[in-house]
Amino acid sequence: MLVSWEWLSQYVYLKNTPDEIANRLSLSGLNHEETTAVDGDTVLDLEVTSNRADCLCHIGIAREIGVLTQQQLCLPEAKIATSGEDITKSWKLSVEAPAACPRYTGRIIRGVKVGPSPAWLVKRLAAIGCKSVNNIVDVTNYVMFELGQPLHAFDLRHVRGNQVVVRMAQEGEQLVAIDHKQYKLNPSMVVIADAQRALALGGIMGGADSEVSGSTVDLLIEAADFAPRVIRSTARALKLHSPSSFRFERRIDARQLDWASRRCCELIVQVAGGTIQNGILDSATTTIEPPTPFTFRCSEIERVLGISIPITEVTRIVPALGCKLVDEGNGQYLITPPTWRADLTREIDMIEELARIYGYEQIPENVPVPMFSSAKRPKDVVLERIRGVMIAAGLDEALTPSVVTQASDEMLSPWTDLAALSTDIALLEGATRLRRSLIPSLLTCRLHNQAQSARDADLFEVAQIYLPSAEGGLPREQCTLGWVSGSNFNTSKGILESLLESVCGVQNWKFADWSNKLLEAGEGTKLQLNGDTLGYVGTFSKSGRKELKLEGTCSFVEISVDGLLALARIVPTAKVISPYPAVVRDLNLVLDEACRWHQLFETVRSAGGELLKDLQYRETYRDANKDGEGKKRVLFSFALQSDDRTLTSQEADDCVKRIIQSCEQSLGGRLIAS
Amino acid sequence: MELNEFVHQLDELEKQAVGELSGIQDATALEEIRIKYLGAKSGQFKNVQKSMGALAATDRPAGGKRFNEVKNAIQAAFDEAQNRASQQATKSTGPLADPTLPGARIRLGHVHPITQTIEHLKEIMGRLGFSVTEGPEVEDPWHNFVALNIPDDHPARDPLDNFYLKTAEKNSGATRLLRSQTSTVQIRVMESRQPPVRIISLGRVYRPDEADATHFPMFHQMEGLWVDRGVTMAQLKSVLRLFATSYLGGDVNIRFRPSFFPFTEPSVEVDFWWSGRWIEFGGAGMVDPNVLNAVGYDPEVYTGFAFGLGVERLCMRRHQVTDIRDLYRNDVRFLRQF
Repeated sequence: MLVSWEWLSQYVYLKNTPDEIANRLSLSGLNHEETTAVDGDTVLDLEVTSNRADCLCHIGIAREIGVLTQQQLCLPEAKIATSGEDITKSWKLSVEAPAACPRYTGRIIRGVKVGPSPAWLVKRLAAIGCKSVNNIVDVTNYVMFELGQPLHAFDLRHVRGNQVVVRMAQEGEQLVAIDHKQYKLNPSMVVIADAQRALALGGIMGGADSEVSGSTVDLLIEAADFAPRVIRSTARALKLHSPSSFRFERRIDARQLDWASRRCCELIVQVAGGTIQNGILDSATTTIEPPTPFTFRCSEIERVLGISIPITEVTRIVPALGCKLVDEGNGQYLITPPTWRADLTREIDMIEELARIYGYEQIPENVPVPMFSSAKRPKDVVLERIRGVMIAAGLDEALTPSVVTQASDEMLSPWTDLAALSTDIALLEGATRLRRSLIPSLLTCRLHNQAQSARDADLFEVAQIYLPSAEGGLPREQCTLGWVSGSNFNTSKGILESLLESVCGVQNWKFADWSNKLLEAGEGTKLQLNGDTLGYVGTFSKSGRKELKLEGTCSFVEISVDGLLALARIVPTAKVISPYPAVVRDLNLVLDEACRWHQLFETVRSAGGELLKDLQYRETYRDANKDGEGKKRVLFSFALQSDDRTLTSQEADDCVKRIIQSCEQSLGGRLIAS
Repeated sequence: MELNEFVHQLDELEKQAVGELSGIQDATALEEIRIKYLGAKSGQFKNVQKSMGALAATDRPAGGKRFNEVKNAIQAAFDEAQNRASQQATKSTGPLADPTLPGARIRLGHVHPITQTIEHLKEIMGRLGFSVTEGPEVEDPWHNFVALNIPDDHPARDPLDNFYLKTAEKNSGATRLLRSQTSTVQIRVMESRQPPVRIISLGRVYRPDEADATHFPMFHQMEGLWVDRGVTMAQLKSVLRLFATSYLGGDVNIRFRPSFFPFTEPSVEVDFWWSGRWIEFGGAGMVDPNVLNAVGYDPEVYTGFAFGLGVERLCMRRHQVTDIRDLYRNDVRFLRQF
């Protein structure tokens, strides 16, 4: 909001410098952006918050300065002389859309001489960046910037049928506005029409047809109130924002319509001559209720602010703000706010007013604050551990947008087949799908890096994925860890296994088969525990990589952090380490190709019993000449150890024998003598 | 031969041989000396050995002992010289050690700067007694707006200013949106427990904004909330000062400028005075009585404050990042700086 220093001085005595005032205003709610010099005048740019529509005009700012510097306000009275027949005799006003236009008023001025504005008016408007059009339009703008009420002057000649109709637009109705652009309207927009057609887009802009021109003689002066929501949606839909729509969107003071209308007529007669016809077209059937008073307890000041404000200051500031103050005794007052302060309706609002005028700098910044316990959540502990492992594994953390394109969404969705939720408007270019997996996003980043010749972008992310529920409603948001890297399947799975052990200790994990059209055959698996799936591992096949434009090996892992959290070993517990020596043995078995390590592992583990302390896979190799087709040799080693004694070689040998026998019986394995 | 004479011969031989060997640097000269003293045929040592037979039988043990000592001493001097000579040879021709070569580094990953900032904030606020809470990112209008004192016709609810989810029936009870602020979590926490509440919530929020150097339609917020009997705005200022002093280091002053947020009253913008200038921190205020009422807290009994800040801005200032989009491009050349 641009404010002219000279203009302000019409309403309030400015005893301070512009810099001092700008600073005071900044600290009391009107943030000062900059000060410029325009044609001998000083112009302040002030930021007005959306609750302070009363400050979108010079009188509003002058009122603030008056309160801050303890000066009286001097306001124009807007006295008009009227003559002739009452306009309601020959003119009809009908407001068919009272929700969109709660109040409409019109006055008629006859016999004006349209021409250039006087120098003082041009200068005032120029100071705040408003171009002079002609004396009539300039006055409507001047009054808007003076007291915040947007006004519009119609050329009365073009208002047909002696009728003003305020109605919602018809579907497809067209209007050429005074910016000479054609707008296509719809029934959510309010128009000012005559008996035949729309003349203006209510609250936003007048129409070219009825605009004031050099040949205009008689005027209809509109001062009205429009519903903020209607104006906002219309302005946005048409991409047509004006100083008028800006003010209506923030709500104007409907109780000052008449004052604004009179002020406008007064000034038009002053600069363009003409006579104001008797009477007013007014849609209001009853007078608007005055603002509701509320009770104010002085004791509340200290309870909220932590400081008390002297009663003399309270009784000075409250009336200065335009409030009526009635002392009800016991530190209690009945306060009636002024009409222009729609934001001031409650005790707490008054406390804010007192705080900002009395000065926030009066509030100390070193009062005691009681202690309070707080501790890291298990989830924070788990996330820290996860990031620690990821970093040790050489992966860099990425953060990617939660909403992705359709192509990205459909690339891979291991967790669900239900369609992704989507947003009405795109987050970024084409991105409307709430992602169901982190992997497509991470692949996009890998590809971006690849294009920058960084082929080693191994990236992880921890974020929510949004899994729709079959019943609708809020989606299940699963905190998820995903990574993509240039490692092969085995390495990625190894990192996952290290991570699982670090977070959850030893668990009875299962890796089940999982396939996807993008994956290398046999290089996809899902991590399961007790039948629940907690994650996925995969390597992209050659054709998958070609489809995704990935260069070189690429594997990924995606795992539910929520799932890990439920199993997390937040506080590890120590086990006694056996002081007795371990016997380490290697075994080399010939097995069927179909026999999996997991089966062998379980067989050896159950045969070894509690003596088996460690079981490590070593390698697999094949020798069709010696073992025949469809066979493989699996080498593994294990340690046998007791917690309470040194194993005799007999005990160890017996245990090894049991293991071999079990492998022979359940897996059809055959021992190769080493 | 007398023992004395034999020992004298040995002493002389030792002195001479060790002396000469100590000056040897190269292999050729060493070989000459080897032949001179240790040569199998006519080395001087051999000669002395021969004369040992001329000693009286009773002197032989003593002579033999001395003989062995001298032999060992010469051999040791020879070995040392040989070592020196071979090192000298390597120095002039073979590979040389270079301890300034780079070591075999391990490849470490990097934590994203936003995560680092969030962890930093959590740590400081944790010390001030604020516990971390979180809530869903997909929200309903009650938690994102209504309970936060943002009525139906408020501009903040405009469809163009929010990421509403596509639903079959518009304006039905099933309206959902990506949360536009972490204040939603305040509501969820207050709905589920009684005061005292001293929490922070951190996470992603979403607002339609054209992406440029300072805007991104997804960003992170930290929101703090303390509700109890007797919580005042002076305590808000004091807590923020403790926070700022911890975060920025050194002594920091706090300035409040009046502002407007639907869910706080009074509402203020907070600035930190640090290193000779005011730095914008974020918004704050006393929890609006309407919000306390919405969650079933009696505003006549409890007061509270809330504050919120953009994590990106803090992160960018701290690490001198000039374009917010760099944080979400995930170029490894960017990420590996942190």
